[in-house]
Amino acid sequence: MMDSGHSISPSECLLRMYEEHHEIEDYQKGVPRWCTGCGDNAILAAIQRLCRDEGLLPEKTVFVSGIGCSSRLPHYMNTYGFHGIHGRALPVAEGVKLARPELSVFVNTGDGDCCSIGAAHWIHAVRYNMNMTMMLHDNQIYGLTKMQASPTSPIGLKSNTTPRGSYLEALNPLTVTLGISNVSFVAQVVDWIPEVLYQVISAAYHHKGFSFVRIIQRCPEWLPKLMEPWLHDPQRVLMLHHEDGVEISPAVAKVYTRMEEHDPSDMNRAREIASSIDPIPTGILYRNEEVPCYEDVRLDGRLRTASLVKQGLEAEFDKFTVWPDASGQA
Amino acid sequence: MDGKIQDYITFFLTGRLDGGSLMPMDPVYRPAAFGPYSDLTSLRYDFPLVLNRADAGRALQSLSHLVDDAVADLADDPERDRIARHGYAIEMDLRRELDVSGSGDFHELWHAASDRLSKEREDAIKDSADLLWNLFNTEGIILDAERSVPFRAVRHLWSAVQADKAKDFRRKTERLLLKLRGILNAEVANSATGRAPEALRAGVGAGFTNAFDFTGMSKILMDSKPISALSDGRRQRIRDLIEVLEGQKFFSLGNEEAATYEFAFECSSEALKAYKERHAEAVSLTRALKMAELEAAGEYRERMHDRIFEGFGERGLGFEDLAELPDYLVCAEADELDAQESSGIVEMLSAGIPVKIIVRTDDALQPSPVAEGHANLGGRSKSLVDLAIGLADVFVLQAGASQLFKERDGLVRGLSYTGPSLFSVYSGSGKESKGIPAYLASAAATESRVFPSLTYDPSAGHDWSSRMSVGNNPSPEDDWPDHRLRCQNSSLQAETVSAPFTPADLMATDARYFNRFAIVPDGADDEGLVPLNDLKDFELEGLPEEVPYIMLVGEDNRLRKAVVDLRTLTEVRRCLAMWHSLQELGGIHNSHAERLLAKERSERALDVTVSEAPLTVAVTVGETATAEPEEVEDAIAEPVGDDPFIETARCTSCDECIQINGKMFAYDENKQAYIADPDAGTFRQLVEAAEGCQVSIIHTGKPRNPNEPGIEDLIKRAEDFQ
Repeated sequence: MMDSGHSISPSECLLRMYEEHHEIEDYQKGVPRWCTGCGDNAILAAIQRLCRDEGLLPEKTVFVSGIGCSSRLPHYMNTYGFHGIHGRALPVAEGVKLARPELSVFVNTGDGDCCSIGAAHWIHAVRYNMNMTMMLHDNQIYGLTKMQASPTSPIGLKSNTTPRGSYLEALNPLTVTLGISNVSFVAQVVDWIPEVLYQVISAAYHHKGFSFVRIIQRCPEWLPKLMEPWLHDPQRVLMLHHEDGVEISPAVAKVYTRMEEHDPSDMNRAREIASSIDPIPTGILYRNEEVPCYEDVRLDGRLRTASLVKQGLEAEFDKFTVWPDASGQA
Repeated sequence: MDGKIQDYITFFLTGRLDGGSLMPMDPVYRPAAFGPYSDLTSLRYDFPLVLNRADAGRALQSLSHLVDDAVADLADDPERDRIARHGYAIEMDLRRELDVSGSGDFHELWHAASDRLSKEREDAIKDSADLLWNLFNTEGIILDAERSVPFRAVRHLWSAVQADKAKDFRRKTERLLLKLRGILNAEVANSATGRAPEALRAGVGAGFTNAFDFTGMSKILMDSKPISALSDGRRQRIRDLIEVLEGQKFFSLGNEEAATYEFAFECSSEALKAYKERHAEAVSLTRALKMAELEAAGEYRERMHDRIFEGFGERGLGFEDLAELPDYLVCAEADELDAQESSGIVEMLSAGIPVKIIVRTDDALQPSPVAEGHANLGGRSKSLVDLAIGLADVFVLQAGASQLFKERDGLVRGLSYTGPSLFSVYSGSGKESKGIPAYLASAAATESRVFPSLTYDPSAGHDWSSRMSVGNNPSPEDDWPDHRLRCQNSSLQAETVSAPFTPADLMATDARYFNRFAIVPDGADDEGLVPLNDLKDFELEGLPEEVPYIMLVGEDNRLRKAVVDLRTLTEVRRCLAMWHSLQELGGIHNSHAERLLAKERSERALDVTVSEAPLTVAVTVGETATAEPEEVEDAIAEPVGDDPFIETARCTSCDECIQINGKMFAYDENKQAYIADPDAGTFRQLVEAAEGCQVSIIHTGKPRNPNEPGIEDLIKRAEDFQ
C-alpha cells in the first residue's frame, strides 16, 4: 500500500507462486539427427538454455524454419514449431507474429535457405522489423543435399556444383543486413564459443524488434577443415564488447584476448567491423531500440470482434455493389 | 503616559474603546493588500475555470491560460496581434458576464461575448473568436469562483479519472469476453454438431447451398475432427465467467439499457452502505477478471488455481485488487459535519475502502462553538486533514478554491491514487465575508496561512520529505507573503509600504471580528504603534509600550491603521506556529535538519583545525595506502593433478564425446559436457574423445589403469591434451 504504484495484491502474489518453471530437458525433444561435431548442436543447446532461463512457456514459443540442416531445429524443440518450405521461414514467422503477437517467435535458417532462395524475404523481414529473433546458421555449404556451394561459400571452394572452385566472392550477410532500411539488431557469433553464443542470442531475444544473428558454424562432414585456422587460433576471433553490448567473462577473455570496445549504436563502425572476414568479429555490431515494429504500426489495438470483421467485409462488398439509382431502379 | 497611548493599550488588552483616540471598525475598510483588487473582472487570473470534457490531464482548464496558449500557437500568423487583442477583449467580457451569471456552457458564452463585442466594435472579432475557439480544442462548462466550485471541479476530475478507468475496464473485459467466447465457439466448431452438413451449409451463405456436397464435406471433416474437447468443468467455468463479466454493474459495457451503479454520494454513511451491499459482487467480479485472464491465456491449471480462487476475497480485498473498479466519491460540507458524519469519514478513510472524499469549507473563520468569541482558524476541516495525514496511507490535499487550477495535477494524482483520498477545499463563499469575491476570500485564506495549501502523497515515497509538500503556497519560505504597496504619503511623495497578509488581515474582512479592530484616526502619529508583523514573539510580561496594528484601506483608497487586540494577536501567533510546523513537515526550515547541519558544520570546523596540526597522522595514513595490494586470486581455477577434465564452459554440445562413452562423459544443466566418471571407460576412450573434440577442451590426465593394452602409444597420443 505504501508504494501503490509498484505493489501488487496478495492474490497476484499467490498466482505468481504457482507460475510454471521448466528445466532444460522440458524443451528437448527427440535425438538430433545432425552429425556429431556439428555446430547446430551448440546452437540448439544455447537456445534450450535461453528458453529455460527466460522461463518461456513451451506453448507460447514458436520456432519456424525453412529447409536445410539448420531447419531441422524445430523438431528438437519441445515447443510449437513450423518446418516450412525452402526460403520461406520468415513469411511464416511474420504471419505467426501478426496473428499472435504474444508468442515468442524464433526463426532458424541456413545460408542457402536465407541468402539464396529466401533472400527477398530476408531483406523485407529486416525492413518490417517485427519482434522476433532470427538465427542464420551459416556453415557456408549446402549440407543436407550433400555439398553444394552456397552464397556464403568462400571463393574457390570446390563443391558438387563448383568442381573447379566457386567463381564468386562470398556474400557477406552482415554488411547486407546493415544496409537495409529499419535494421535494428545485427550480431555475429561463432558456434565454438558457447558462452558468447548464449549471451548474443539472449540479447537478441531481449531486443524489441527483428534481431538478426549470424552464427558462423562448422560443418564437420563436408567442410571439416574450413574453420580450423579460426578454431585453433583465438587471435583470429575479434571479441566486441561494450556495456551496452556483450560483456566478456574472465574465462573467455583469458583465451580470446583480441578485443575491441564497440558501441552498438555506432552504425559506421559497425559497417567497418562487419566487412572484416579475418579476424571474425564476434558480438553485437548494431542495435537501435527506436525503430518501430511492423506489428505495432499495423495493429491499431482494436479487438477483432465479429462485428468489426463484418463491418470490414461489408465495406469491401459495398465497393462492388450496384446501387439502385435515385428512381429506385437498379 | 500619553492619554492616546493609554487608549491604545486599553483597547489592546480589553477590546474596549475608551477614551476617544480610536474609532470603531467600519465595514468600508478592507485589508490594505486588497487595494489593487477592488475590481477582479478587470484583471487576468486563473478564474474562470473550464471543466473540459476530456481526459483527466486536460479536464480542468483556466480561461486565461487557454487564451494565452492559443495566442502562442499563432506565433507565425501575421494577424496574431489583432486576434490576441480580440481574444483578451472577449475574455474580459466573459469574466464580467460570469461575475453575474456564475457559470454556463463555454461554447455558448464565448460566442455570445464575441457577438456582443462585434456589435459594439468590429465584425472581425467573430473571426478571431472562431479561430481561437478551434485552437482551444475544449468543450464543457465555464464557471467563476463560487460556492459550488470545489465540488464541481473535483467531481468533474473524478468523473474524468473514472472515465479513463471505465475505458480500460471495457477494453479488458471485451477482450476477455471475446477470448472466452472464442474458446466455447471453437469447441462447437470442432464438434460433431459444428461439422454436421447443416452447420456447414449454414456457414457458406444462401448463394452457395447447391454448390457443395455438404454431406461429403462433413464426412471428411468428421474424419479429421480433433479428439480433444473441453472438460465439463472448464466449459462450465468459462460460462460462469462470461455470466459474471456480462452481468456486472460497475461499468457500462456500451449497452445503454443495462443499469450501472452510482458511485457519487453526499454523505459517508450512504457511500459505506453502497460499498457493503456491493462487496460480494466486487469480489466476484475481481475474481472473474483474474480467472478470465488465465483462461484466455490458456494458463488456468485447475490443480493449482482452483484452490486460490475458492477462498478469493474471503478476508476482503486490497486496494490493488479493487484498483480496476470505480472509486466512491463523497462530497461533504465541513460546516455541516456533525460528530457522526466526521467519524463516518474517518472510518471510511481508515477501513481500506477506495473512497475519495471532498470536504468543502465555506467558513474558514468559524467562531469556536466552545469558547465564546474564540476564532477557530482553518475551520473544522483542519482536524480532519490532520487525522487523515496521521493515518499514513491516505492521500491528502488541502487548498483554497483559488488554487484549484494550480493544484490540478495533485488533484488528478489523488483521484488516481490506489487508496483513499481526502480533499479539503475552502470555497471562500462564507456568509460572513459578504461583499468580498469568493476568489479573493479563498486566496486571502491561503495567503494568511489560515487555510494553507498542502499535499500529502503516500505513493511518492516512504518519508515526509517525499510525501509532504507545501510548495504551492505563496512565498512558502516566509511567515506571510509580503505585499509591497505603492502609495503616496501626506506630502504627496511616492513610497512603498510593506503589508504582510496575516490572519488578522483576514479577520478584518469578517463582520464577526470587527470588534477586535479599532481605527486610528487620520493625522495621528506612529507613537505607541508597531506593525503586527514585528510582534510575532510578543509575550505579555508587563505593561506594553506599543500595540500592534495592521493596514486597512477605505473606499477613498486611503490607508488607515487599525489597532489589533491581544486576543487576535494570540490567535495569529497560534496560526503562525501551526504554519511553522507545517513548513517543517514540508521540509522548510526543518529544525531537526538545521540543528544537524549546525552540528555537522561545527564538527567540520573542528576537523580542519585538527588536520593542520600533527603530521604524523598523515604519514601513517600514507603508509597504509601504499601497502602492497594482495594478489588477486586467479578467477579461473583449473583442476590440477592427474585427473582428466573438460573445460566445460567452452563445450559446444556437439555430442562427439557423449557418443564415445555416455557414462564417462555427460552433459550438465546447461547441456555442456563434463567428466561424470573417469572410471566408467578406458584411457583409450578418453584419448579418442580428446582427439575428436573440435574445440580441444578435453584433457586426458594420466591413465588410471597402467595395464591397459597399448598404453604406451596412448600416453604418447595424449601428450597434446594435458
